[in-house]
Amino acid sequence: MLITLLALLAVSAPTLWLLKPQRWRHAGWLAALPPLVVTAWLLTQLGPVGQGAVIREHYVWSEAFGLALDLRLDGLSLFFGLIVAGIGAAIAVYAGYYFEKKTTLGYFYALLFLFMTSMLGLVWADNLLALFVFWEGTSITSYLLISFKLSDQKALEGARRALIVTGMGALAMLGGFVLLGQIGGSYTISALLALPPATFTSHALFAPMLILILLGALTKSAQFPFHFWLPGAMSAPTPASAYLHSATMVKAGVYLLARLHPAFAESPLWFWTLLVVGGITMLMGALIALRQVDLKAILAYATVSQLGVLVMLLAFNSQTAAVALVLGILAHALYKGPLFLIAGIIDHATGTRDIRHLAGLAKAMPLLAAGVLLAGLSMAGIAPTFGFLAKETLLEVFFYWMESGDPLGLVGLIASALAGALFVAYSLVLIWEPFFRRAAPQKQAAVQHPPSALFVLPVLLLAGVGTAIPFMLGIVEQGLFAAPASAVLGAPVTLHLSLWHGWTPVFLTSLLAIALGLLVFWLRQPVRAAFAQAPKKLNGTGIFDGLVNGLYTVADWSTRSVQGATLPTQVSVILLAATGFLLYAGLSSGTLLAELGINWAARPTFYEVVLAALAVVAALITVRIQSRLSAIISLGMVGASVMLIYVFFSAPDLALTQFLIEVLTLVLLVLVFFRIPPQEVQPIPKRISLRHLLISLLVAGWGFGMALLAAQRPFFATISDYFSLNVLAAHGGNIVNVILVDFRAMDTLGEISVMVVAALGGYALLRASRLRPVQDPSQPTPPKARSRRGDKNA
Amino acid sequence: MPERYLALLDRILTPVLFLLAVVFLIVGHNEPGGGFAAGLVVATAFLMQILARGDDFVRKLIGTYLQPAMGVGLVIAIFSAILSLPEGAFLLGVWWKIPLPGGAVLEIGSPTLFDIGVFLVVSAFVTSYLLELSRPARGSRR
Repeated sequence: MLITLLALLAVSAPTLWLLKPQRWRHAGWLAALPPLVVTAWLLTQLGPVGQGAVIREHYVWSEAFGLALDLRLDGLSLFFGLIVAGIGAAIAVYAGYYFEKKTTLGYFYALLFLFMTSMLGLVWADNLLALFVFWEGTSITSYLLISFKLSDQKALEGARRALIVTGMGALAMLGGFVLLGQIGGSYTISALLALPPATFTSHALFAPMLILILLGALTKSAQFPFHFWLPGAMSAPTPASAYLHSATMVKAGVYLLARLHPAFAESPLWFWTLLVVGGITMLMGALIALRQVDLKAILAYATVSQLGVLVMLLAFNSQTAAVALVLGILAHALYKGPLFLIAGIIDHATGTRDIRHLAGLAKAMPLLAAGVLLAGLSMAGIAPTFGFLAKETLLEVFFYWMESGDPLGLVGLIASALAGALFVAYSLVLIWEPFFRRAAPQKQAAVQHPPSALFVLPVLLLAGVGTAIPFMLGIVEQGLFAAPASAVLGAPVTLHLSLWHGWTPVFLTSLLAIALGLLVFWLRQPVRAAFAQAPKKLNGTGIFDGLVNGLYTVADWSTRSVQGATLPTQVSVILLAATGFLLYAGLSSGTLLAELGINWAARPTFYEVVLAALAVVAALITVRIQSRLSAIISLGMVGASVMLIYVFFSAPDLALTQFLIEVLTLVLLVLVFFRIPPQEVQPIPKRISLRHLLISLLVAGWGFGMALLAAQRPFFATISDYFSLNVLAAHGGNIVNVILVDFRAMDTLGEISVMVVAALGGYALLRASRLRPVQDPSQPTPPKARSRRGDKNA
Repeated sequence: MPERYLALLDRILTPVLFLLAVVFLIVGHNEPGGGFAAGLVVATAFLMQILARGDDFVRKLIGTYLQPAMGVGLVIAIFSAILSLPEGAFLLGVWWKIPLPGGAVLEIGSPTLFDIGVFLVVSAFVTSYLLELSRPARGSRR
């Protein structure tokens, strides 16, 4: 069933594109059908999964490599699946009205549904490698969605940054997965989690593995110091921002950490990294959010802050923390999603998202104002909203920690309360400034294009679900909260959530935070002014761009120093490097030179001597001769004598290929030299000539040594036998070709792929040369040997 | 007019070369030959035509097909590799026996298909370079 649902979404992607949804006004409702089906099915599973049932599916992909697609639906996967599919349906409806008959709507749906497939696959996968593939699927669709508006340079840069940061993280994570698989002996996540945690934590490679996996999770979830890509990703169309960069994709890192939590939570490294990184991200995001004026930027930094909270909660290994995590994830998805959608509607209706130009929107759009109240109060964490419930549980975690006698618990409690206060402040800013204040500080934007009720409906639905949940805790808490929390914890969780706990210290702290938040809201003008003074340069984006530019500089330098000079120098560098490696190997092992025994007693036959002499003479002529054409022809002679040697040693295949290559090379060289204007062959200085001779001798010695070694030490004697024994089984008589297309077909496949790439590159180069002005032969030719010539000047 | 002799030679030799390439391709699994050699032979045949009738003639004839041919070749090679996935592995040889009239049996396998892919890539690769390089450079004396 799981695979069917994934396939349904994957097929919907191109289908919706082909249907040209921009033709219908209400196309969004059609697009919402597939995710609604998924949501409905997942809802029916809430009961059984809440009771502890687990659905597994196993599809063998390649038996030989042990690759299989394992899907598994437990409490946590179901929980995330519901968020992905449920919010996905709302986004699909919303996007139909947001794009409003623009032709890009079909393309947007295609990307959106591909993303949905990847994201659901990610949370349902029970295999580390499958999870990685889906993970990258979300990165790529996210990249395409951020750069959706191709004409926008800033969007392209933001997309590139996001892709590089999350892509690098994912690569590190893959390394971590391999280590994890090696340590645990399996790539199946449920099998790994079934092992005792000490298997991992006491392993020598635990720290590198954990750091690599954390890199992946923390970059994806935009944690400090990788947070900067998320605000940059806000160039995506608003439905995508709401969905990917707030409700779902950025939580993939949190999901992975939650998934692996039972195995790693005992480790101090895990605890401190997540606590510190999450804590810094929480505070920093909340502080920066206050200074923004763009609605989406405020929401983006608020998202960063909330992600910090979630990561911080994962540090703890307690039932309260697991419950707080689950509540935090759902509450955030159900208030931040609608808030983003509201920002999109405001943008749509007034043409701006700048909060300084907005005021009094509540009159023109009362439904939207209702939505912002529901969602905004939940974000502020004011009773009796879902956000309040989540914040209470978060504070409880730190309160219990403090009660256990650790002074750090108090620090954590204060930090969370402070973040909570900032949440209150910018939530109120979001509600008050655009919707309810009388006049904007700068030129007020008018509502030119009020949204239809159907456009606002997804906002109200999501915010409504968020509002309703705290009042029906008794019905949903087992399936929706206890089951995922027990998956995070790795132990059964019993829950009795309620909105009202009495006048507990936690509630008082919460009240204090709200009071502080109101104060900050009251003083928001001076606070913003103070922030405006802060240096703008020192942010992640600047550092990242500096790093990327540094990389370009290094690449430029290394390319110029290895390949910038004339052709003889370039070739010398390559050949000397090869010789150097072999010499190093020979000298360091010590015995290699001794093994170069030459059998002096063996007498070469007459034709061998003649052919060798022919090759030597032809080679000498090639070097000495002045005319290029003659040099090419005598080079062909060398090849021909080598071909004859192949014939005498009965290797007709090699001889045939060598012959054809020789002919073609000859013609190609003639054609190339034909295009180069003839010029005086300048006598090469003695010094350079000597240097070339020395290098040639070295390389010749290297080739000779290699040939001798290969003949002396049959490294893999058994493989030749295997080939000749099995050549008939492979339905062939020509062993060389059977090796090429059957035994070693993978190598050949790689070679022809490289060939195609090289062909396209070479083709482009050859065409580009025509674009340059033809050089006047009378002008001095610029580069001599040694002169450094960048392509920029050419 | 050396081109006239070349044109005559081309008339005779080019069909022979193409035939030779086909033979190489078919017998490659048992006798000297194979997709790589066949591709080179085809490139040689086109080279012959370039020399005899000029590069414009050949470019009009096949110029637009070269890049697609490389892609198609690569796709065929990968497709032949995927063919064996139901057997449990990537790039496993899968063989079919087709009885021919007269009692002979033709064995066709995924390696043959793979070889055809290699052939297409190699022939198109070399020919495209030959064509590009034989294009008269602007300002040259040709």
